[in-house]
Amino acid sequence: MNPVSLLVFRFRSLLASFTLAVSLLCLAHVTVFPVSIQAAEVGYPAAWLEPAQTASQLGITSFTQSPVLDESGLPPVAQRLPDDPPVIFPNDAIGSYGGIAHIIADDRGMLIAADGLFTISPDLKTILPNLAESWYYSDDGLTLTVTLRKGLKWSDGHPLTTEDILFTVNDLQLNSDFMPVTLPDFIGLELHAIDSWTFVINFPKPRPFFINYVAQSPEYFLMPKHYFRDFHPEYTSPDVIDERMEELGFSSWSAFMTTSMQKRLFPDLVNHPTMSAFKIESLSPGLYSYERNPYYFKIDPSGQQLPYIDAVEAQDVRENEVAVAKASTGQLDFAGVRLPTQDIPLLKLGEQSSGIKVNIWNRLHGSDLSIQANMNYADKQKRELFLDVRFRRALSIAINRDEMNEIIYFGRGTPRQVTVVPGSDYFEPEFATAWAQYDVEAANALLDEIGLHDVDGDGIRELPDGSRLTLTVEYVNTETPKQVSMELVVSYWQAVGLDARQRLIDRELQYSRAVSGELEMTVWHADRTTDILFPINPDFWVPRKLAASLAMWSEWSRWYLTDGNLGEEPPPNIRQLQIWADELATTMDRERRIEIGKLILAANAENLWTIGTVGLAPQPVVTSNRLMNVVEFGLWGWDIRYTMPYHPATWYFAQ
Amino acid sequence: MSELRELSPSRLAWLRFRRHRLAILAACFLVVLYTLAAFCEFISPYTPEQRNVRAINAPPMDIRFVDAQGQFHFRPFVYDLKLTINPDTWMREYEEDSSTPYPLRFFAKGVPYELWGLVPAERHLFSVDPRGPGYIHWFGTDSLGRDMFSRVLYGARVSLSIGIVGVGLTLFLGILLGGFAGYLGGIVDSVVQRITEVLQSIPTLPLWMALSAALPTAWSPITTYFGVTLILSLFGWTTLARQVRGRFLAMREEDFVVAARLLGANDSRVIFRHMLPSFSSHIITTATLAVPAMMLGETALSFLGIGLRAPVVSWGVLLQQAQNYQVIVMTPWLLLPGAFIVVTVIAFNLLGDGLRDAADPYSSLSEK
Repeated sequence: MNPVSLLVFRFRSLLASFTLAVSLLCLAHVTVFPVSIQAAEVGYPAAWLEPAQTASQLGITSFTQSPVLDESGLPPVAQRLPDDPPVIFPNDAIGSYGGIAHIIADDRGMLIAADGLFTISPDLKTILPNLAESWYYSDDGLTLTVTLRKGLKWSDGHPLTTEDILFTVNDLQLNSDFMPVTLPDFIGLELHAIDSWTFVINFPKPRPFFINYVAQSPEYFLMPKHYFRDFHPEYTSPDVIDERMEELGFSSWSAFMTTSMQKRLFPDLVNHPTMSAFKIESLSPGLYSYERNPYYFKIDPSGQQLPYIDAVEAQDVRENEVAVAKASTGQLDFAGVRLPTQDIPLLKLGEQSSGIKVNIWNRLHGSDLSIQANMNYADKQKRELFLDVRFRRALSIAINRDEMNEIIYFGRGTPRQVTVVPGSDYFEPEFATAWAQYDVEAANALLDEIGLHDVDGDGIRELPDGSRLTLTVEYVNTETPKQVSMELVVSYWQAVGLDARQRLIDRELQYSRAVSGELEMTVWHADRTTDILFPINPDFWVPRKLAASLAMWSEWSRWYLTDGNLGEEPPPNIRQLQIWADELATTMDRERRIEIGKLILAANAENLWTIGTVGLAPQPVVTSNRLMNVVEFGLWGWDIRYTMPYHPATWYFAQ
Repeated sequence: MSELRELSPSRLAWLRFRRHRLAILAACFLVVLYTLAAFCEFISPYTPEQRNVRAINAPPMDIRFVDAQGQFHFRPFVYDLKLTINPDTWMREYEEDSSTPYPLRFFAKGVPYELWGLVPAERHLFSVDPRGPGYIHWFGTDSLGRDMFSRVLYGARVSLSIGIVGVGLTLFLGILLGGFAGYLGGIVDSVVQRITEVLQSIPTLPLWMALSAALPTAWSPITTYFGVTLILSLFGWTTLARQVRGRFLAMREEDFVVAARLLGANDSRVIFRHMLPSFSSHIITTATLAVPAMMLGETALSFLGIGLRAPVVSWGVLLQQAQNYQVIVMTPWLLLPGAFIVVTVIAFNLLGDGLRDAADPYSSLSEK
């Protein structure tokens, strides 16, 4: 092992382990699961918690590259790297080059982490520089100045400059042809460049968490201008574009760009430049092949250009069962997203015979299920019922969360409502426990009180007017164990006399019906529960967004989004939430922010806009024995883009 | 030589059938199975939806007569299962605790149920005391801790009855349409024949799937059950109709039919008194052989997730839960319903075989 790495990796600060002990003690009486992860508690390199040092700071002067690039005819590695490349410390050891990683397509985002202007620290709170070298906010929070690293290059060798950022924001995000409805986070933004590396964003209102947004959703902020200008009417004559679009099979340039943009990290359609560690090389039905980005900007402490792995092959696998079978028989080098918690024993069985490691991470989901009853539903009777807080409370306390925890999670999840993770600045224990105690009698009493009685004696409650009451829950079975959970939830509801049914639908349908308010009841998973996203996206607690994940109040959200032109005006208490959410994202006063955040969450604890089941659950993450440097324990969730803080570019194959 | 006796055709058929040992065996098996299914609430120790959190994915339990000390007990018993979750493998491990036997109780009070959904009762054929911590899962439990033995029995009721009800419908349609076509001939015959051809030319599985997908999800489980039965029999009648028509055509010109008609018998008398009896044995045989096809149809649909749906329990629904790699490796006992399907289908085929031989007046008693 290289001496530099030895020196660095043995450095695990004492202070950090002290923090661990303290935070564990603090949490002991709150919850069994310490999700307030201090990175060092689990032995991450201390460097991950701070802005990455650069080659010049560490005195690294010579750079090396993967042998596969030796014959490529590209410029020498030192010229491909930025002027002063950031140094990423691997989790365990300095790696060596080579190998093809086999994964399933849904895990691409985990192995090929998104690289944007900023990145997220494993502490779940801090934003760190990435493509940007530094930034600073003006004291009033109205101006953000960002400086890019010098000499960054796209995967085709073209330099990355402020031109690209300006193009992305001004010509795409703020272009009404391209974005008929501007994304809320971009409304009122003004961008200008000072030079090729520095740009300034002026906000209409203070936006202290804008960097969180950019860090978590890098796709929306980074498009290669030199590539896309050929498709943009601002830079290319419309006739030429029309011709190209016809060739590529798109109806308009904006359709093409939208598709490209959504798949920017996975450019399935065209081989357009990326800043990520891997670029797409070929695409055949069911198989995506990626190869290393020869211009990737990070190096390891010994001066080797990252990533270590040469190529990635991702198979399209649509079923959890198939993914589990492949993972447990050692056919995948990394797998996570399609591995259900219940299959941990099977995967562990594979550990003995198939040369894999099964690490148990912790999901960041505040609750694996967010059960939503549509309070804006078209059917008057149902709407009235769902709007009745007693009904939502009855639904919640009829659920036996402890039994769910035993059956699905081996007793290792935490029964809780939809709220932020412990360790968040906004967390209070009662937000998680409110109306979460199993109490059939109380549930029955509440339902009786509402006037839902079993009139005809068939064991099923009817509506107050005597007509039939059925609850239909339609949802997509994705990411968390929703189907088995709902099987149980439905049986709990049936036990209190509610005729509940469940049905799986596909994702597109879920989206269109959630947005148009046609879903009577549905289920999603409660992510966005950390301090990275909660202050800017308190989505489960405030109606201010239309999304597949939020089906309980589409009309109130529409009203908010259209300044009252469309949708329905929310009642005063809901309107108050929207006002609070606006202040939450814009206030510069930390105390005030925490106060409002807690008010919003307290409102949910009382009103249960959405009902949670079990959260902070174990997540199996399978790696092949030859894949090194993957953290043994991590947090798994959308808020940190699953693996972004754990530097997948430093994963390598043992010889 | 003893005196000659005249044997009726049915007596002859019975004699022929009796020689078919396998068919007798199959018939006995089916009678037992149908009885179990008919009284499944009473025979199973639990209800199919009852969960046992302390026995999730528990393997089948041994019912014992001899205890750990080698002593014989007249009353069978099961040992307590101790559940531990292995911290390394996350496996739910069950260990028999031979210090805590739970004797089986017969005809004792247990979980309350309603026999055929009508008669409230709470006695079970066998059970362990539900007030205590003990439990009996003869066939193990599934991933939600539900008793597989109870579920297989409840599933038997649905799967077995769907075969019978479906075949009943098929017979009705087949005889009606085939009879009309064969007896009346002409335009009726042509129409029925064309319909038959069209129906037979469509691949069944996609058609079933399309129709099942059209069943409204809001339907109650029982309505879905009849919907699925109807779908299965709507496409099952064609073969039978063809056979019935053929018979009618052939028989229409037979002397005894012509005679009956000339004597002034009306159509229905001719059909029901003279023609039908002469090939009823054939119909019975065909029907018997059609039952397993119906059952397999239901199983296939439910297995694909488009037939019956939980909470209805049928063998197909049970197998649907078991259709993955996990089950084969971790909980193979969940495949038991599959074994039941295989054995039942074989039994029906053997029975049909025997019936066909028995019904054939030209097969000789002395053969075999």
